[in-house]
Amino acid sequence: MTDVSGGPAALPVSKPRRGSLLTQDALTRRRNAAEARFKACGAVAITLSMLALVWLLFSIISIGSPAFRQTFLTIPIELPEAKLDKSGTRDPAAMAKVTTVGYAAVIQAALTKAIKEKGISTDGLTPKDIAGIVSLEAPAQLRNHVLANPDLVGQTIDFEILANGRVDGFFKGRVTMESARLDSNIKPGQLVLAQQLVEAGIMAQRFNWGFITFPDASDQRPEAAGLGVAIIGSFYMMIVVLVLSLPIGVAASVYLEEFAPKNRLTDLIEVNIANLAAVPSIVFGILGLAVFINFAGLPQSAPIVGGLVLTLMTLPRIIIPARAALKSVPPSIRDAALGVGASRLQSVFHHVLPLAAPGILTGMIIGLAQALGETAPLLLIGMVAFVRDYPGMPIDGFFDPASALPVQVFSWTVRGDPGFVERASGAIIVLLVFLLVMNAVAIILRRRFERRW
Amino acid sequence: MNDMRIAERVVDSMESKITARGVQVFYGQNHALKDVDVDILDKTVTAFIGPSGCGKSTFLRCLNRMNDTIDGCVVKGSIKIDSEDIYDPKVDPVQLRAKVGMVFQKPNPFPKSIYDNVAYGPKIHGLTRNKAELDEVVETSLRRAALWNEAKDRLKSPGTGLSGGQQQRLCIARAIATSPEVLLMDEPCSALDPIATAQIEELIDELRSQFSVVIVTHSMQQAARVSQRTAFFHLGYLVEFGETGQIFTNPKDPRTESYITGRIG
Repeated sequence: MTDVSGGPAALPVSKPRRGSLLTQDALTRRRNAAEARFKACGAVAITLSMLALVWLLFSIISIGSPAFRQTFLTIPIELPEAKLDKSGTRDPAAMAKVTTVGYAAVIQAALTKAIKEKGISTDGLTPKDIAGIVSLEAPAQLRNHVLANPDLVGQTIDFEILANGRVDGFFKGRVTMESARLDSNIKPGQLVLAQQLVEAGIMAQRFNWGFITFPDASDQRPEAAGLGVAIIGSFYMMIVVLVLSLPIGVAASVYLEEFAPKNRLTDLIEVNIANLAAVPSIVFGILGLAVFINFAGLPQSAPIVGGLVLTLMTLPRIIIPARAALKSVPPSIRDAALGVGASRLQSVFHHVLPLAAPGILTGMIIGLAQALGETAPLLLIGMVAFVRDYPGMPIDGFFDPASALPVQVFSWTVRGDPGFVERASGAIIVLLVFLLVMNAVAIILRRRFERRW
Repeated sequence: MNDMRIAERVVDSMESKITARGVQVFYGQNHALKDVDVDILDKTVTAFIGPSGCGKSTFLRCLNRMNDTIDGCVVKGSIKIDSEDIYDPKVDPVQLRAKVGMVFQKPNPFPKSIYDNVAYGPKIHGLTRNKAELDEVVETSLRRAALWNEAKDRLKSPGTGLSGGQQQRLCIARAIATSPEVLLMDEPCSALDPIATAQIEELIDELRSQFSVVIVTHSMQQAARVSQRTAFFHLGYLVEFGETGQIFTNPKDPRTESYITGRIG
């Protein structure tokens, strides 16, 4: 068989009837060209969307990353007992009588002294101008620090104080000498002083944990604004959404898919669920306002109400993929379970649900991620309020006023001070990091589940 | 068992295990099974043969009420197991299915370990009191399904990793682990190669000592090889039912003769 030459004599060979296989006919060429065109369109579409994504990420990161760095002054501050604790008892309640105005004077004195020690000239600047390079928030921070540690009174402490937002913007390139000349909030002389302070080692930029931990701040002090309350609020809302929508969503989809009779009523429910998933989210905000706040009397701006509204919004978006996941479990598994005498509930919980779990989980996390980024319904239930107090611990904290990450982005973008532009983009970065973490968790959990089976 | 020899006709028992009278099945408007009377004997292999769509699988699925899961399926008439009507409203199909096990056309092991596949039935029916007893049930079931030697070293590996024939024997082991009294098999060998088929057929013959086995098959050779009694279904009617030897050598109905000689079907 392997010896070709020893084979039977060569037979006469037939001629191709429909043209040679080695040349393409017109139809084949047209088909191949159409395929190539389609592939090229796809490649162009992918490239465009990748470019858009890269551009988006680049612009957000380049605008937002400065929010994670902040300019601070580190100066020795003398805390005179005569001014801060007249009673001499170190009793925080008595010391609280001294307002931030008193602390502002302390900071101003310390700053003037530090500048004098370094031999920096302050010609042409009033004492008020000198104090103006410090954030308006700094006296409040110093006051909180002293009230928390009353024993510091009478000592001299090294304290880090926030620089003013314009000074900070100067080092980030947002504020220039030219823009300062037109700006009533800052003078070029103050920027020169700030530059000298940096050279003297008093003022420096460092990583800004305050952006993650501080609460929101008012219009005049972008340098002190942080995401602390918004992160806690979003986290609480996600807990409420998870705790409510996972059991309700899974139970509803299991019932509809496995137990409910197929009739007009269930058809109607099915259509309604599909429609609810497409309802604009702001409608859920109106519903939440009417039902949870006006009717049920729950507090405004509270994570519990936000969580409930987002649960309503998320449920259909969880039920639809959960039902698809249940539907994709092969019926032979149900037959097998029923065939050995399992009840329907047992066949669902022992076999069908574990097999559908990865799909349900993915739908769940995608639903949660959508809820995390949802802004419109939260605006209607008052989560856009300016909240400076951290909400308490769960479960009571669910009823305290809080903000939410996407709402914080929204409210910062409408503020006047240019310092909030970088804050808003920084908040978007934090939001994106949260979403990435959630998606990574979803992928890991799905892998884990799939490996078990 | 690769020859066409007809299985021994020794019927160990003449007691009727399942008695079906006037069974009608409707799938919505479709009248799938018309007036079927069958007696299935204890400790006997009964084969249902007939062309596709003739109602033999439908009838099989009536015997453990697997048709309940199909929307719009209505069963009329009476089917009695041990003289108890299984369509009585008081009957819980779960209890019935513990008594009447089923093996499906396509091997459908649970995506779990071999051990868990076999142990699942005894666990949910509370047949064992402790792990040792469960281990024993698993071992005897796997032995009776002729899978023990191949599976004993990999009880913890997934049942879906076995070959097709092994998977089907695993399904048989799973079905007999709950000690049913009747074993229904819906074309158990249609997805298997001839060697695996021969193994399953041998197994069916051995199982006959404990169970009443009902097997639906498309292969007339298989029906002839494994069964003692054969029922021929055609277009929803039970055409002929009797000793396998008589059906294959001396059919009374011309339709049966046409089918087994290959003229219809």
